[in-house]
Amino acid sequence: MKWVTWEHVGVDRMACAWLITKYLDPEAEFLFVPAGQKPLPEGAEPFDIPGVRLSHHRGHCTFHTMLGEYDLRDPVLQRIARVVDEADTVQDVMLEPAATGLDVLCQGIRLISPDDQIALERGQLLYDALYAQFASEPTQG
Amino acid sequence: MEKPQETPWVLLVYKIPREPTSSRAMIWRKLKRLGALLLHDAVWVLPATPWTREQFQWLAVEIGELEGEAYLWESRLLLNGQADALTQQFQARVNSAYQEILSELEQDEADLVALSRKYQQVRAQDYFHSELGIRVRERLMSARGGFTS
Repeated sequence: MKWVTWEHVGVDRMACAWLITKYLDPEAEFLFVPAGQKPLPEGAEPFDIPGVRLSHHRGHCTFHTMLGEYDLRDPVLQRIARVVDEADTVQDVMLEPAATGLDVLCQGIRLISPDDQIALERGQLLYDALYAQFASEPTQG
Repeated sequence: MEKPQETPWVLLVYKIPREPTSSRAMIWRKLKRLGALLLHDAVWVLPATPWTREQFQWLAVEIGELEGEAYLWESRLLLNGQADALTQQFQARVNSAYQEILSELEQDEADLVALSRKYQQVRAQDYFHSELGIRVRERLMSARGGFTS
């Protein structure tokens, strides 16, 4: 199926695309529209755009929302959601030192990628790595 | 950063129900953490960058979900000198925080771990790249002792 988001992907969108491809829709096709463009293309599920179902909710990032919407309860994914929350949004409590670095790396990946599609593909490696590392550590709830 | 008079600013004006007070306080803390400046108890302002726009955008969404109402603008100051004055207010605030770190570094047994964390927090709000920040960084580097390079 098709998924649509705004151009110029960053830490949250890379996380979402990774989640979509790994857990929800291995054949996912991603479309990118300029920030603020309306209407959104028909027949594509929008994500990380203000006001849509799969977006920031209650101060959490879109990745966090997607775990709830698709009932993904893996504690490793929950911890990644906490990291993305801290990387992508201003939080008054900071618990995950990986967050700042992850944000910088995702921005850097976008800078060295010719387009958003390739940036999402390259971002997958970071989240595979994060998942593997967190899975090897004791669960922190 | 651009020259001050050309700097666009993002402005956030919001209201939020008095209760629960924890929600009000949380939004307030997030604005402080962003290093936004509150003008005349009415308008929160930050220099406009893709990052600050996005942060204010999500904060506006969050305020809406808390039954509040938020307006978000991008604008430029029109009166001569006001952009400079506003920039200086941002600078003055981070500089006083940097100055505190410098004074604490003067003391014996300064807590370098805490001070370097504080430096990172201040730097995240240092939108105009204060010279003092560079000095704090150098002082922290030299205060750590041991090898000098």
